[in-house]
Amino acid sequence: MSLIKKVKAYTQGRRGPPLLQTYYSLGKLLRKETIYSSNSSLIMRITPFINFTFLLVASLSIPVVFIPPPVAGIGNIILFLYLMVCAKFFMALAGLDAGSTFGGMGSSREMTFSAIIEPVTIVTFAALGLVLKTINLHEMFAATLIAPAITNPPLLLITLSLFIILIVETSRIPVDNPETHLELTMIHEAMLLEYTGPNLALMETSHAIKQTLLIGIIVNIVSPWGLATTPTAGGILLAMVMFLAKAGIVAVIIGLFESQVAKSRLFRLPGLFILAFFFSFLTIVFELLS
Amino acid sequence: MLITLFLAGTGIFLAAALITLLPALRAKKATRQIALWLGLLASVVFLGLSLQILLTQQPFHLTLYQIVPLLRLSFDVDRLAAFFMMLISLVSVSSIIYSMGLIELTKFSPDKKGLMVSAMSLLILSMLLLVASDNSFSLIFFWEIMAITSFFLVMFDFDKKESKKSGLFYFVMTQMSTAFLLFGFLTLFGVTGSFDMKPVADISPGLKTAVFTSLFIGFGIKAGVMPFHKWVPYAYSASPSNISALISGTMSKVAIYGMVRFLLLLLNPELSWGVAILIFGTFSALMGIIYALKEHNIKKLLAYSSIENVGIILLSIGLYIILQSYGLQTTAMLALLGGLFHTFNHALFKSLLFFATGSVANAAGTRDIEKMGGLIKPMPYTGIIFLIGAVSISALPPFNGFVSELMIFQAFLQSFIITSAFIKILLLLGLSMFALTGALAAACFVKAFGIIFLAKPRSKRAEEAHEAPVAMLIGPAIPATLCILLGVFSSQISSLLGFELPTPDLLVVGALLIVFFILTWIILRITANRKVRVSETWGCGIVSQSNRMEYTATGFSEPILTIFQPIYRTSKNVERTFMDNQSVVFKEGKAEINTLKIFEEKIYLPIARFVERLSTIISEHQDVDLDVYILYSLVAVIILLLVAGWIA
Repeated sequence: MSLIKKVKAYTQGRRGPPLLQTYYSLGKLLRKETIYSSNSSLIMRITPFINFTFLLVASLSIPVVFIPPPVAGIGNIILFLYLMVCAKFFMALAGLDAGSTFGGMGSSREMTFSAIIEPVTIVTFAALGLVLKTINLHEMFAATLIAPAITNPPLLLITLSLFIILIVETSRIPVDNPETHLELTMIHEAMLLEYTGPNLALMETSHAIKQTLLIGIIVNIVSPWGLATTPTAGGILLAMVMFLAKAGIVAVIIGLFESQVAKSRLFRLPGLFILAFFFSFLTIVFELLS
Repeated sequence: MLITLFLAGTGIFLAAALITLLPALRAKKATRQIALWLGLLASVVFLGLSLQILLTQQPFHLTLYQIVPLLRLSFDVDRLAAFFMMLISLVSVSSIIYSMGLIELTKFSPDKKGLMVSAMSLLILSMLLLVASDNSFSLIFFWEIMAITSFFLVMFDFDKKESKKSGLFYFVMTQMSTAFLLFGFLTLFGVTGSFDMKPVADISPGLKTAVFTSLFIGFGIKAGVMPFHKWVPYAYSASPSNISALISGTMSKVAIYGMVRFLLLLLNPELSWGVAILIFGTFSALMGIIYALKEHNIKKLLAYSSIENVGIILLSIGLYIILQSYGLQTTAMLALLGGLFHTFNHALFKSLLFFATGSVANAAGTRDIEKMGGLIKPMPYTGIIFLIGAVSISALPPFNGFVSELMIFQAFLQSFIITSAFIKILLLLGLSMFALTGALAAACFVKAFGIIFLAKPRSKRAEEAHEAPVAMLIGPAIPATLCILLGVFSSQISSLLGFELPTPDLLVVGALLIVFFILTWIILRITANRKVRVSETWGCGIVSQSNRMEYTATGFSEPILTIFQPIYRTSKNVERTFMDNQSVVFKEGKAEINTLKIFEEKIYLPIARFVERLSTIISEHQDVDLDVYILYSLVAVIILLLVAGWIA
């Protein structure tokens, strides 16, 4: 996250925050007090925990260093996607909870975009499943380990869709602008306005986890090298270093991408989604012919 | 043993219906409460009976009354019928408990309250006997009783103009459904020579298509499939909440039962039917939820969402037929199980949502969600129950709605090995529309829950709301508990019933969720600052917040409305006048956004006008002397004879 900020700052001719700034901020937030709105209810109080928990469980589906044997169907793509939707559902509810106009607007926009990106996501993952012949993420990565995306053109197409999904789901330009607090531009931030202290820390962490997970999917599909299949200390250590490097590269790409494009008008966005949909659809048609 | 239970249940229901009909007793509070208790007992009896059959797979047969050998009321309960019996009796249990509370809060006259209990008992009984029927004669017999009793219940508030319109609409549609069914059943009778519900082997393709079409339309009307759905929002919003829950939770499921029984089991379904059902289902699901998003009358919102869910069920049935005809047995079974499970789940969460809505509407004195808000504070239990329903219906893990949608998703994903390009593209489109539906449903229920229960009250009545009486909490609490249990224990329950699902074990997921939740809480408790302060929401410098500053339901659904504008066929009407001739200084103006009721204006009204014209022509030939009538009959008989001679 900080890396993206750093890259953006460099392209804008600034020096940017230190790399570990996100962690400093989290540490600071944990020491602050919690403030609730007098309008808010139970929802506001449990949402940070729910959000964090659901993303943690979702993260079990995306191995970044080591592929364990599948247990009890963890790693099912639909389960993974819906765990993230569930986190979003509660975040949107909490956005309405304080009775602030900003929060409501954020929820409304977030739900709208989550709704129209959903078919894209599902079709993209369906395409993935079709190409790799499994609907379990763990098995998918095991498959890409043998035949990575570079050798498989349809997978590269899917990667493009995945990248767009990553941009949308993590609320980045051109969908959302994570930097501003202007009501015209914000979606995700608007829902976070009412959180304070440790709760805000939880929400921020959840968001970071989500970003890591989605980057993790892309990394594991494009270049799964280094992913350990057996739990040996050396392999895991190597995989960790490799993943950090690879995720770093994706983050740099995101940063560069963000600096190049402008935030688009809200109702222009479905066009972007259609693009992603088209790529995935193309993949499936591709598979169909071959 | 089973037969005794069956007869006992029927008898108790009839007793409940009778005592509330007797003029001497029906106005008394004690009578209707006793009748409700009797109904509860009978529902529990039927519940036990159906569970017994489901678990032991031991069907039973009973002939109750035989008019002539062909026409008889006889019953045969197999596992499919038992499954639907369980669903109906379960919803009835909670509906009856809820009614115990609600009925005393309504402003109807004591006589009417008694009648309501009576009609309700008869409605439940007729649905139970309908799914138990083993021949199409007794099925249509109970179908009509169900139609009539439910018509009375929809018309219950007949003093209101809206209810009259809804009732009439409902009556016409329900009779049309009966007419289509009768046509289908009689054609089948013509082929097989009996009303028995046995697999039909030799039937010519033309007749088979005719039977399929008429049965599909007949059951489709009752289920609320688009474009036969128009009565649904009217009828659901006109009737009291306990009745809406029954109609939506069970009556539409009875139609699903009919489809599964006749189209899947009795007739050998063809690929083209599967495609047709899939398209109808997808269309209903998507349009249903898109209309629901726009709706601010909470009961109409739920009604449209019912259309959506019926669409999802049909979609899975269509998928089953398609997969079956390509020989993919396991995946097909997964789709059908997903559909049936969704039927059950929808019955649970939709009835609970209707119950919670009824309580809320009662407390806030309105059904317009724009006038509610902040209700979770005065009504915490109702709020949590509604939340459970909203989470389940949005198909979020680890609740039951998720499991059934997951099964359908998986069936979709596994179906891409079909080689036909057309079917593949169709399934892909179906899958993406299904995904869109799911996500829009989540948006819709964020709106519903958020606007009703969160933030500040938006009207005076909403500020003074009180929690509902205990009975109105226990009623919906039963399905709410089941929503959670059926989701978390889905794998265990399905293997108990003899089906091994390839879905994730949600017990593990649920356990992980709870463990992580508690761990996070404990860690934060230790490490983080524990100070908590409650303060006003920041209002951009305005000292105290008013409810006028909150986000509204209209505002919430505006982006979606704009994106799907072509579907809604909204018409924007902006009029502006200006002070100067260059159109710069704004003087006054008004803007309206209207949603056209396309279905009503483009499909229903033309048909209605045509029928009206036709009947005007016919009525000119009525009202004449007796001899002319005799002439008519003579002509009719001659034509009939000629036709009969021509066919034979």
